[in-house]
Amino acid sequence: MFRLAQLWRTTTVRLTALFMLIFVIFAVVLLGLITWQTSVQLQRQQTDAIDRESMQIKQMDSDSGFRATIIAVQRLASQPGPGIYYLADPAGQLLIGNVTDLPPEVLAEPGTYSFNYAKPRPFDDPEPDDAGTAQRQGYAVVRSQKLASGLILVVGRDVVERRGFTAIVLQWFAVGAGGILLFSLVAGVLTAVRVLRRIDTISSTSNKIMSGNLSERVPVTGRNDEFDALATNLNLMLDRIEQLMQGMKEVTDNVAHDLKTPLTRLRNKAESALRDGQNEATRKQALETTIEESDKLIKTFNALLMIARAEAGTPSGALSEIDLSAVVLDVAELYGPLAEDQGLALETDIDEGVRINGNRELLGQALVNLIENALKYYEPSEGKAGLIKVSLKRAGARVRIEVTDNGPGIPAEDRGRVVERFVRLEKSRTEPGSGLGLSLVAAVAQLHKGELRLEDNAPGVRAVVDLPG
Amino acid sequence: MKILLIEDDREAASYLIQALDEAGHIAHHASDGETGYAMASSMDYDVLVVDRMLPRRDGLSIIESLRAEDNRTPVLILSALGEVDDRVTGLRAGGDDYLVKPYAFTELLARIEVLARRSSPAEAATSFEVGGLALDRLSRKVERDGEVILLQPREFRLLEYLMKNAGKVVTRTMLLENVWDYHFDPQTNVIDVHMSRLRAKIDKGHANPLLHTIRGAGYMIRD
Repeated sequence: MFRLAQLWRTTTVRLTALFMLIFVIFAVVLLGLITWQTSVQLQRQQTDAIDRESMQIKQMDSDSGFRATIIAVQRLASQPGPGIYYLADPAGQLLIGNVTDLPPEVLAEPGTYSFNYAKPRPFDDPEPDDAGTAQRQGYAVVRSQKLASGLILVVGRDVVERRGFTAIVLQWFAVGAGGILLFSLVAGVLTAVRVLRRIDTISSTSNKIMSGNLSERVPVTGRNDEFDALATNLNLMLDRIEQLMQGMKEVTDNVAHDLKTPLTRLRNKAESALRDGQNEATRKQALETTIEESDKLIKTFNALLMIARAEAGTPSGALSEIDLSAVVLDVAELYGPLAEDQGLALETDIDEGVRINGNRELLGQALVNLIENALKYYEPSEGKAGLIKVSLKRAGARVRIEVTDNGPGIPAEDRGRVVERFVRLEKSRTEPGSGLGLSLVAAVAQLHKGELRLEDNAPGVRAVVDLPG
Repeated sequence: MKILLIEDDREAASYLIQALDEAGHIAHHASDGETGYAMASSMDYDVLVVDRMLPRRDGLSIIESLRAEDNRTPVLILSALGEVDDRVTGLRAGGDDYLVKPYAFTELLARIEVLARRSSPAEAATSFEVGGLALDRLSRKVERDGEVILLQPREFRLLEYLMKNAGKVVTRTMLLENVWDYHFDPQTNVIDVHMSRLRAKIDKGHANPLLHTIRGAGYMIRD
């Protein structure tokens, strides 16, 4: 179960709370506006009514005399409702009306007044008033004036009823607002719990991964929502990490094999030189071999590092636009004389102006490795001239570097396995220094989002580095 | 030649100092960055050999400070970081050459001697001459004893580099770096083949050879 504090920290609940706050502020402002407008309207209506009645009675008084006035006021005063009527003689003595005890200034001076007053309880009101009195508090807005007959007329309205109406509007508004608040709170918590559950799944998966189980993956629900997108991306990232870890492990294994074996050899040689090293010439010979061996070691180590870096993917800055045609031409030209000396012809077929986004050094090294392989496995035989062809072709969006030879080649059943082995870096390393060349080529191709393929050249091998242009 | 070696590995340093001494140079040693910087800026050296990772102050910052003070002494950077990016950073900081550890002493010595020449006007010369062999950088013409020798563009650049450093050993790696602009070790004798072709063109039919192979080190052009 989720604790409240945890819930409160979720974005969903916080957002819900924020929206609720905004809603409440909006509702209060709206409510205030409505109440104010209602009250203003009601007040205007009442004032209009008061003015109208006052004018009518005043007119009647001047037209028909005070008797008609008394009858009219009596009729008005006897009607139920918020009306307040009070007719007094010139001395201020009540003649007729539905209220008593007006403040003295109302009668003394004509004008508009508002005041608290004691309201007589209507006879049909079944509710006994508190303190047992037959009256209750009212708030009146009145207008007093002297009539032509000398009588004093006070016409007004009780505003408590008007206020009551406003109160009812307010009350229902509050109920509505409360309902919405409650609803959004529940909805917010429910959403938050759902979101938290999804996030908890991701967190617990990453915890499992951190505790060492790299094969664990975040479940994808198939709802195709943003959480699925996140989970898919996380899984892709995990795949990459696992791949890198695997690569790292392979590098470590390779280092162990490729460096420990020659190191042991080195040590053995030094030991045996010490043992039977009375002869100066033997000792010199042993030392020279030692240096040679350590140079080989350094080369192997460099190659391993290069492969590891290429496989890990170098920072994006390491790839830049290069003239691949020039690279291929340079390397072919570098090796041409050597091939010739070894009795092979090195032919080139290079498309001009092929530019790709790449790493010049690594591509150059990869091509060197392919050519050196072709040279290394060439077997001179009667009636057959050795031929190495280096070509660079652009075909649509792809760029192909090919190094073909007409040497012994790789048996068909082994070819797939051999390529597989490069990628997995599990090459046989019976011959020192021969195990890493193609692995590096494969890693370089991979770094450039391409691949290395070995095909049958019948006879010989066609090594293809297929790169995106 | 007066050389300052700034290197924190004492064993490697004492070996280098002794070897440089045997090669006829005066070598001073500083074992940390601050001392090295103080020595480099207060004394006059022909070449500085600076390790990249040093205690108290790193090698690149020493070079940057020296360059900021308009100290133009050639600098050879030694580093275990051998990626192209690392090399570019090192040269951009003001280094003149970059050698990745581990290295052979002959390689280091050859580079130091070539570097020291940089301060001489050979870099800007438009033509070179060694024992009757003349190379004109502008007309790209090569002659020996008045006889024109036709060279491929790459052979011309090889010879140009050798003649610019006439009398000095240049290693195979230096040739690969300066003539082909690649920084890996050629696995086979690929450079030697180019050199023997060049030799065939310039020395064939002449009594005194100019292009010499220096065993265990590289090549040299001299009288």
